[in-house]
Amino acid sequence: MSRLAIDLDMSKCVSCGACAIACMDQNDIELDAGKGPFRCVFDMEEREGFSHLSLACMHCVDAPCIVGCPSACIHKDPETNLTVFDTTNCIGCHSCAMACPYGVPSFGPDGKMVKCDGCYVRVHHGLLPACVKVCPTKALRLIDLDAPAEIPPEHSLRQRSLALLERQV
Amino acid sequence: MRYAIVGFGTAGYHAAKAIRAGDPAGELHVYGDTGLAPYNPMLTTYYVYGKLDRKGLFPFGELAQLQEQLGFTYHHERVIKVHAQERTVETASGTEPYDRILVATGATAFAPPVKGLEPEDSFLMRTVEDAQRLKDRLDRGDVKTAVVVGASMAGIKVVEVLAKYGVQVVLADLAKTIFPLAAYPEVAAMIEGRVAKRGIDLRFGVTIDHMETVDGQKTAFLTDGTAVPADLVSLCIGTRAATAVVQGEVEINRGIVVNDRMETSVPGIYAAGDCCEGNNLESGQHQIIGLWANANRQGRTAGANMAGCEAAFEGNILHNITHFMDMDFIGFGDNRIQGEVLETGSPDHGLYIRVVLQEGKIVGANILDDYRISGIVKNYMLRLFAGEQGKLPDYQKAMLLRSGVPEKFIDKLEGKLHG
Repeated sequence: MSRLAIDLDMSKCVSCGACAIACMDQNDIELDAGKGPFRCVFDMEEREGFSHLSLACMHCVDAPCIVGCPSACIHKDPETNLTVFDTTNCIGCHSCAMACPYGVPSFGPDGKMVKCDGCYVRVHHGLLPACVKVCPTKALRLIDLDAPAEIPPEHSLRQRSLALLERQV
Repeated sequence: MRYAIVGFGTAGYHAAKAIRAGDPAGELHVYGDTGLAPYNPMLTTYYVYGKLDRKGLFPFGELAQLQEQLGFTYHHERVIKVHAQERTVETASGTEPYDRILVATGATAFAPPVKGLEPEDSFLMRTVEDAQRLKDRLDRGDVKTAVVVGASMAGIKVVEVLAKYGVQVVLADLAKTIFPLAAYPEVAAMIEGRVAKRGIDLRFGVTIDHMETVDGQKTAFLTDGTAVPADLVSLCIGTRAATAVVQGEVEINRGIVVNDRMETSVPGIYAAGDCCEGNNLESGQHQIIGLWANANRQGRTAGANMAGCEAAFEGNILHNITHFMDMDFIGFGDNRIQGEVLETGSPDHGLYIRVVLQEGKIVGANILDDYRISGIVKNYMLRLFAGEQGKLPDYQKAMLLRSGVPEKFIDKLEGKLHG
């Protein structure tokens, strides 16, 4: 079993939005039906400078959403360790959202949770997640947590938010 | 090593998993009085409502399946006593030894006797059996009126179920407002306005006094003397930690007192879940924080330590998210603590936040209708309680802005907290 996750090199993202488009395409997301891509892209001007971000599920190793879901709808994919879900018994209680320090889980018009599943089916077949594949600056990466880091820790969204994640209970 | 787990709810299940991960060969005995797989008490109203089928009450699957996965002996028996000195578990069928034991007996619904209330008309909402009873009764179609006592998270969900079945409902609570343990009075007023618009009759400062039959109609008399028709009464007053099996054996306040390794005052005896008092990270005091995620983490921690692995669960803050009647109420922290209030949004426009600040910390927060920001707000509170000074990082701030939290509000909040 591999332990995979998607990480963002914050020094390389230019907020082009290609990842969000790829996400919508891959997951057949219809905006007209009130749905949106699992990946959110930001281009923010702040006092200290600019922030370019592409945010979606971080596929945390010890994911607070898994612990928080009262119906055990969220689990780790045995092959990839990506955080995946089966919302047959999702009651729309939003507990996963309260557990997530990144503000990731959202709910569709049917009241059931949706989020990035890391395109785990693509990964099972040797393909990259759609957003990673399309990212023109290679800011988004599918990373192997047990391999040497590909993104310098100071630029890695995952590394920079680890301390914050550890506070979440 | 011979392990015992008393009570097989989610805390017991998570402990069993952790024991197996740390000690695949140890002998594991699980004692349960339900004969059922772990179920989630919070799901009971969803089952009665019809959002879940009966199978959906058991998030981890069936008991036989779990026994096979985790390799334990299930004793379908109520434990009478855990004898700390002798290290034995006593049931009706005898006494068996243990080396390490977990008490994960959960909590039971508390219901004071109500004069004149027939047992068949009195309903609790905690167990699978409670849920089945209410469902069967409502499916008969003869319930037209009801009184729900307790304006709690459980109470409001029962109200929602009854309303779906077309029952006229009075919701009564001795408290002055709805969700008295979590909502600020101002926020409670907003919620009450919305609930009342749904046709729910709210009565505060009163509870049920007794039942009488008036002109053939079962009638609840409230403590202010008013009478309301009530074909059934649902008591959602609260729960009590189930601590009887270790009474006199370990330190118990309202719940069994544990440290961050889930050890009780007696070596070899651990406790996890709704029966125990862990650490409240806000107050630094021991307190029962009876929530699903808490029970999971506590169970996992207990199991790991029982199997000889090192694990700690530092505690939690009071937190609640309740989705009902097409709205979300989220409460964090102690709503009794006064301080400087910051608020933004409007109760009518899909987002309202009220935070109370004291000494550089967010001591409490109420959010209406935006579940998506709730995890970030909780995380911010937890970091501040841990003594961290960092502002909101851009990736959290971005998600707050996306949800409609005004930048001015974030700046003001950070300004107050970090200067």
